[in-house]
Amino acid sequence: MSKKSTVPKVKQKLDKKDLTISILFLLPAILICVVFIIYPVFDTFSLSFRKWNGMFGAVKEWVGMENYYKIVTDKMFWNAMLNSFYFMIGGFVILMPLAFGLALLVTSKIKGTSFFRTCYFLPCMLGTTAVALMWTFMLNPNFGVFHAIENLLGIDMPLPDVLTVKTLNVWIVILVNEWMYAGYNMLIFAAGLVAIPEDLNEAAALDGATGWQRIRYITLPLMKNSFKVFSILCITGCLKVFDIIWAMTRGGPNDISSTPSIMLYSQGFSYKLFGRSSAYGVILLVLGVVLSIVTNRIFREDKDLAM
Amino acid sequence: MAETIGKKNKHKVRTATVVLYIIAIFWTFMTLFPVAVTILASFKSKAEIYLNLMSWPKEFLIENYINANKTADALRTITNSLIVASLTTVANTVVGMMAAYILSRKDYKFLKFVYLFFMIGVMVPVHCTLIPINNLATGLNAKNNLFFLILIYVAFNMSQAIFLYTGFMDGISRNLDEAAIIDGCSNWSLLWRILFPVCKPIVATEAIFIFIAGYSELVFSMIMMTDSKFFTVSRAMLNFSSTHSQEIGNQFAFVVMSVIPMVLIYILFHKQIEKGMLSGAIKG
Repeated sequence: MSKKSTVPKVKQKLDKKDLTISILFLLPAILICVVFIIYPVFDTFSLSFRKWNGMFGAVKEWVGMENYYKIVTDKMFWNAMLNSFYFMIGGFVILMPLAFGLALLVTSKIKGTSFFRTCYFLPCMLGTTAVALMWTFMLNPNFGVFHAIENLLGIDMPLPDVLTVKTLNVWIVILVNEWMYAGYNMLIFAAGLVAIPEDLNEAAALDGATGWQRIRYITLPLMKNSFKVFSILCITGCLKVFDIIWAMTRGGPNDISSTPSIMLYSQGFSYKLFGRSSAYGVILLVLGVVLSIVTNRIFREDKDLAM
Repeated sequence: MAETIGKKNKHKVRTATVVLYIIAIFWTFMTLFPVAVTILASFKSKAEIYLNLMSWPKEFLIENYINANKTADALRTITNSLIVASLTTVANTVVGMMAAYILSRKDYKFLKFVYLFFMIGVMVPVHCTLIPINNLATGLNAKNNLFFLILIYVAFNMSQAIFLYTGFMDGISRNLDEAAIIDGCSNWSLLWRILFPVCKPIVATEAIFIFIAGYSELVFSMIMMTDSKFFTVSRAMLNFSSTHSQEIGNQFAFVVMSVIPMVLIYILFHKQIEKGMLSGAIKG
């Protein structure tokens, strides 16, 4: 927030009324956040030390650290963490180059860039569930695209259901996720690209710099900020992935394509282990807060240095 | 000599342009192909889909749409989602702007803490509140209540909205308010009559994103809505795809129906979205 200008003296009499109004204006926002964010966080914390089957009236028995112990010794938890990690890797290795490439494309001098831009952004407007189902149909072994290709070629070989194969299914979901958000991140990068003064590139071109050289020595260094935004979103987002996995595989088969947030959901709402599920919640919260503080710190310091 | 270099460069530029077009068209194809296949399949009979997913329909059947609407109550769930998304957007805009106005325009010391409080909200992952909110809803008998669901969505969009609006308002000159205050303008009309119109670009872009998120949200709708009458569209589609997994054509039709409102909004507002994103204001 910026430093405020001095309040005119005429207003001083109205100070009390002004304070009341200020509080009234803030109250709805604060109340909603307290009820739906702050209180739940404390409740999750308290439940994570208890055992509860989710029935009202049932005793919430204190079990100390048992829930946490069971989680960290469960190999499915580490599997879920690994899946989240794959999401992060996918973000940096696939989504980032793809989105950056598309951003270069739609800010280049070719014709029809506004059509391409509008087109590429479309997938993330469709909604996660619709996208997930669309691709689940495309990949269906009985009538999907690969089946259709087999039919055309006259091959009659039963196809595996790729969404049930360990690790492969996670990567397929990751690819669908990148397909969906390529256009969105393209615009984040494009925002950085359009901010680069045109004369810089022209001057470099006059000096005989090739396209690659211009990207390497002008675009990339000036785009640092966009890459930071992308990195922060990618790192803090990978723990929260839920919808797209749930819609495509339900985290299965047998939880192998789960992320921690899907484990949280299934432990609670499928297996009725509400204490364990809450412990997952606390782990998610701590990891989420730590990751966002660490990434922000890393990138902010970097920014100060650059300036 | 100079001429040959010029020619070479020109030749290079032309090849580069061709490569760019090829890539651009390739990704357009990648983007539109699944959408097109889905739309075509929604008009085909089940047998035809099994025969060849990618073929042009022999004739365009609308049975799939009729059945999807009959079995899965598609239109009702879409209406539910539209109601939830619109009310969430309105509530977020009103409540968020009110808070942002105070945070940006007043000088009380405690406002720093209030701002910090909202920023903490950004870091809390939605899923770790699932169980307490579920309990809260059961306790208040608020399951299957669209308004309760809306309040949840409002809460989770709040921090982001306040952050954006406050940032934007900080950039608006205070001369504007001072003139209005001298004219006897109250806080309420200063916010809505003077500042709101100036904030419109950021509010509009953020509103579109809140709307999309509200329309397609899944997790909370899964735990809050147990009566199929109140299913939102994402929830209903998933439910339908697992209970009627054999009715492929109907499912394609349901997916197409669900995205129609979003595509319409996109056609109407894509300039606004692109402008908002390209200005670098919205970042996730």
